Amino acid sequence: MASVLFSLAACTPVRQAAPSLGLGTETRLEPALSGDGRLLASLLVRDGRTTVVLQERQTGRLLALAHLQRNQPHHSPSLSWNGRYLALISQQGERRLAVIEDRATGQLHPLPLPPGQEVQRLSLAPDASRLAMEVSRGGLSRVLIFDLRPRLEPDLPPGQSVSGGGLP
Amino acid sequence: MSRFCRPDWRSRSAALMLLPVCALLGGCMADQPRPLDGINRQLEASGSGNRAPSLSGRWLALITSRGNREVIDLVDLESGRPVPMAGLNRPDAEPLAVSVDGSGRRLALIRQRDGRTELVLHRLDVGASEPIAITPAGVPEQVALSADGRILAVQVSREGHSQIDLITLP
Repeated sequence: MASVLFSLAACTPVRQAAPSLGLGTETRLEPALSGDGRLLASLLVRDGRTTVVLQERQTGRLLALAHLQRNQPHHSPSLSWNGRYLALISQQGERRLAVIEDRATGQLHPLPLPPGQEVQRLSLAPDASRLAMEVSRGGLSRVLIFDLRPRLEPDLPPGQSVSGGGLP
Repeated sequence: MSRFCRPDWRSRSAALMLLPVCALLGGCMADQPRPLDGINRQLEASGSGNRAPSLSGRWLALITSRGNREVIDLVDLESGRPVPMAGLNRPDAEPLAVSVDGSGRRLALIRQRDGRTELVLHRLDVGASEPIAITPAGVPEQVALSADGRILAVQVSREGHSQIDLITLP
């Protein structure tokens, strides 16, 4: 145990602030990283609107999102391994709706829940095979897992092959 | 798929009558995501409620209400079994947020203990937790650990503003 604590303590984490968007004092919320840590998604609060922004973590360069500049406020962004998919909660009238933007194809995938359930928080598996949703129903919070494999191509680390399918 | 579109619906004739309606409604809600019923039942049975999910690889970390307190659970989604986590859930601490890496060996969490809010990195392979100082001082509110386990993104409240700190882990 002593050696473990030593190894943790001996290596000091390296810190930096998230890249600024050049907007003065920014309020930034709910960070999410791509699986490889290259991209950072977060919520920017400006002029009373809470909007997702996607940046390269090291340079701060902003990346375009085709479908996610409206239906605010946004909540709970989550990224896949290479950042191909960005899942978040958007506002659709009176209801919250989970959506996934596929940055490779430009498609937007809405993920409606049955009536009576309201999504509160999301977590997208890095390979985009599953989505976890915290939903509230009757005042209680529950976490539900959904299978995305029939709908989304996997987003895997480079060099990792898709398992299953095809003949040996 | 909604119950109206299930092929095992009892009345075939009534189902046939509904088919045009389903088509008009865009595939009869075929866009609804498919729940993983087995694991969802297990999660429901594991406590009186759960929240703050973090998925990575085959692992799901979340906060579960059990008895009179909340605890962090880690579930192996391939086997459906909870993973024992020695030394993580202290009786004097209340978890606020959690994030797991893709190997299931590192958990980052925010918890309240002794009236303070602290950011902690827990290594499951060795059962050791280490607080990570917030510098400049601030209150950690949310945390995200990259799936490769190398980067932490932390929402920190400082002087009334929420900011994001990025921490490269050794």
